[in-house]
Amino acid sequence: MRVILQTKPRKNPHIPIEAEAVIPQNFLRKNDIRVYEGNKERKLEEIFYITTEGPAVSPDQVEIVLAGETGTLKRVGEYMNAGRIVVEGDIGMHCGNFMSAGEIIIRGNADAWLGREMRGGMIRCEGNAGHYCAAGYRGEKRGMRGGTVEVMGNSGDFTAEYLCGGEVRIHGDCGDLTGVEMRGGTLIIGGNCHRPCGNMTGGTCMIFGNADAMLPTFRSNGIEEREYEGQRFQMMVFRGDVANRGKGTLLIRKK
Amino acid sequence: MSELLVRNAYVIDPLSGIKGDIMDIAIRDGKIVEEVGRNAEVIDADHCLTLPGGIDSHSHVCGTKVNFGRYMSPEDMRAGRTARKGVMHVTSGYSVPTTFGNSYRYSTMGYTTVLEGAMAPLEARHTHEEFTATPHQDMLANTLFDGNWSIMEAVRDRDVNRAAAVVAWTLSAVKGFAIKLTNPGGTEAWGFGEDVHSIRDQVPHFGVTPGEMIETMIRANEILNLPHSVHLHCNCLGVPGNYQTTLDTIDLVPDLNAKRQSLYLTHLQFHSYGGSTWRDISSKSEDIARAVNNKSQLAIDMGQIMFGRTTTMTADGPMEFKLYMLHHNKWSNHDVELETGSGIIPVYYSRKSLVNCVMWAIGLELALLVKDPWQCMLSTDNPNGAPFVKYPEIIALLMSRRFREREMALLDPRTGHYAPLPAIDRELDWYEIAVMTRAAQAKALGISGIGKGHLAPGAEADVAIYPLKPGLLDPSTDYQQVMAGFGKTRYTIKRGRVVARDGDIIVEGANSTIWTKANVPPEYNLSADPEFVKKFEQYYTVRMSNYPVQDLYLPRGVRITTEAAL
Ligand SMILES: [Zn+2]
Repeated sequence: MRVILQTKPRKNPHIPIEAEAVIPQNFLRKNDIRVYEGNKERKLEEIFYITTEGPAVSPDQVEIVLAGETGTLKRVGEYMNAGRIVVEGDIGMHCGNFMSAGEIIIRGNADAWLGREMRGGMIRCEGNAGHYCAAGYRGEKRGMRGGTVEVMGNSGDFTAEYLCGGEVRIHGDCGDLTGVEMRGGTLIIGGNCHRPCGNMTGGTCMIFGNADAMLPTFRSNGIEEREYEGQRFQMMVFRGDVANRGKGTLLIRKK
Repeated sequence: MSELLVRNAYVIDPLSGIKGDIMDIAIRDGKIVEEVGRNAEVIDADHCLTLPGGIDSHSHVCGTKVNFGRYMSPEDMRAGRTARKGVMHVTSGYSVPTTFGNSYRYSTMGYTTVLEGAMAPLEARHTHEEFTATPHQDMLANTLFDGNWSIMEAVRDRDVNRAAAVVAWTLSAVKGFAIKLTNPGGTEAWGFGEDVHSIRDQVPHFGVTPGEMIETMIRANEILNLPHSVHLHCNCLGVPGNYQTTLDTIDLVPDLNAKRQSLYLTHLQFHSYGGSTWRDISSKSEDIARAVNNKSQLAIDMGQIMFGRTTTMTADGPMEFKLYMLHHNKWSNHDVELETGSGIIPVYYSRKSLVNCVMWAIGLELALLVKDPWQCMLSTDNPNGAPFVKYPEIIALLMSRRFREREMALLDPRTGHYAPLPAIDRELDWYEIAVMTRAAQAKALGISGIGKGHLAPGAEADVAIYPLKPGLLDPSTDYQQVMAGFGKTRYTIKRGRVVARDGDIIVEGANSTIWTKANVPPEYNLSADPEFVKKFEQYYTVRMSNYPVQDLYLPRGVRITTEAAL
């Protein structure tokens, strides 16, 4: 089944839509799906033109396509456990919070907190992602625990903060405090980043660009070879963060 | 004029000596009266258990520390969400809910008055702002003096009058209700990375001991004629073998007040441990209960723990650090300049942990071994032992030996070896539960005189009607019904209005904040005292003139005025 949600023109298009109900498992039955526009509860059809094609007997056969002014849609895919969501443009904050399975494809850019505390499944963002991409949340000691997040462009500050499991792959640059508090999982950065992996206690971070303002609390541990996009690179290996008795691995491309 | 008549109520009102009579309750303009006119609105209580509104004499629901518990625990905020419904605000949170969440859940359980267990004077505004957003309960604030420099200097100088003057000025400035001492001296020692380990340890840099502080404050409290006694969280909370410190503290307490206790010991479960390490921790509830039974000048609350997830929060900073070293999870640590501190960590009490099982048993044992229910109040030190929504379950455990046995069967089998609970037969009755959940609190807090905790004419019309028919129920076997009944009133009446019905909140509500002002002779008014003023000029980051909480923070303040014997 394919559900196409095309946004309708709105009186004030800047008010965010809380759209955590937009997940494949909710479309299997003719549910009364509701979202919030600011503090006003709306029926789904008040916000979107809805087109449904074909049948589905289980949520993994449901594909949701979001089109139009999608950049104000927040929490799309939260707690999603199957199926597929394709966003034709940009997506708002908190896309894919806590998702455990299925996939989300974003053709444009994603706002902050993409894939926050994700448990499983796959997110691919073809543009840039905002701050806290694949991170934990304020006051939460474990961030993303499984699945994969791939960003073809850049991502903001605190990328993969509190990463515990799964794989995060940023092809462009990351911002400040990349991979801070990492506890597990793998973070791969194609471009540059700033102050990576502070307080890291576990997991692996690989940086194929430059690491600016590298922290002094990592212990050098030789050279290893790693592959990235078909090419092999010499990587400097570090262990740390020593300040936190950490056993994480940080690899940075040797120039 | 609004009139309400509750008919056919099965009333237990311990302060009025009513132990289960079928009667009518007449209410006019928020007060209990002898009778009302024939046009009064009528509620038929249908022989259901009807009690004065519940009073929690020790709970943490408002203030900076509670709020920090909220923002450091997004997982707790996600638990227990309810949507907006009629006059009800959105709520969220389980162990540290939003203020409206606290208020509605208390209201549903028939509670109409709650004392916040620890307000840091410097941060009082936040507490009062949250009080006004807790609309179904009248609120009171225990005010922290455990690390107050002016107090410790007065104690060092053996000047009890000076200590009384500091208390009088501070309570009036921050609109506090009573004196709270949390690990006296220990919290200030923690400011220097240390703690105290008995009531005879010196507090570093101040030349006083916790014992001297406690004694001086008990006397200062009586000099000021405050409604409540000193409210003490003993030293050495949660430390194996700490029962000795608790017994030493109890030994200090003189009998100075004919109307109520001279010292209130809070969450005593956490202070009744034998053994010397976590491996051999045992219950010393028998020793503690014996000491309480022998001293009518004491009142205590249980501090019961219940299994599951919760958040611990206390002004006892060093204790929270010890917990952090056990769990290595999140931890918050906070210093309040010249006054006190605090710490917060989330915990999970598990049936698989022998230590937790023994703690669970101790709380119940205290309630069952203290003979006089007026001396032992029901509490969980919300949310430290468990969120207060567990009270109905605790009531059921106290009323049913069978329920306790059923629970014991799920625990670590060694529990009975370290705790005497299995040998205790006592089952509390409806009257004793009514005492332990409202009447004893009103007496201990000294607020029965302003119409709290009873239903005599003139009292505040705070009434809880539970869907329980004492004549038709045997609590020792029907404990499930007891639990359900105390969890959800048929009617909760606050100041003469039905605010909650069958678990639904039907009135927005508007509460009062009760505070204390002790009038002192001019020579004891510290506003112009050079030493005291210097504290602000030299050390505080706040000017003395900006320190007092303005009246606008208490839209419905109720002031209790006393005359100090100075
Ligand atoms: Zn407390």
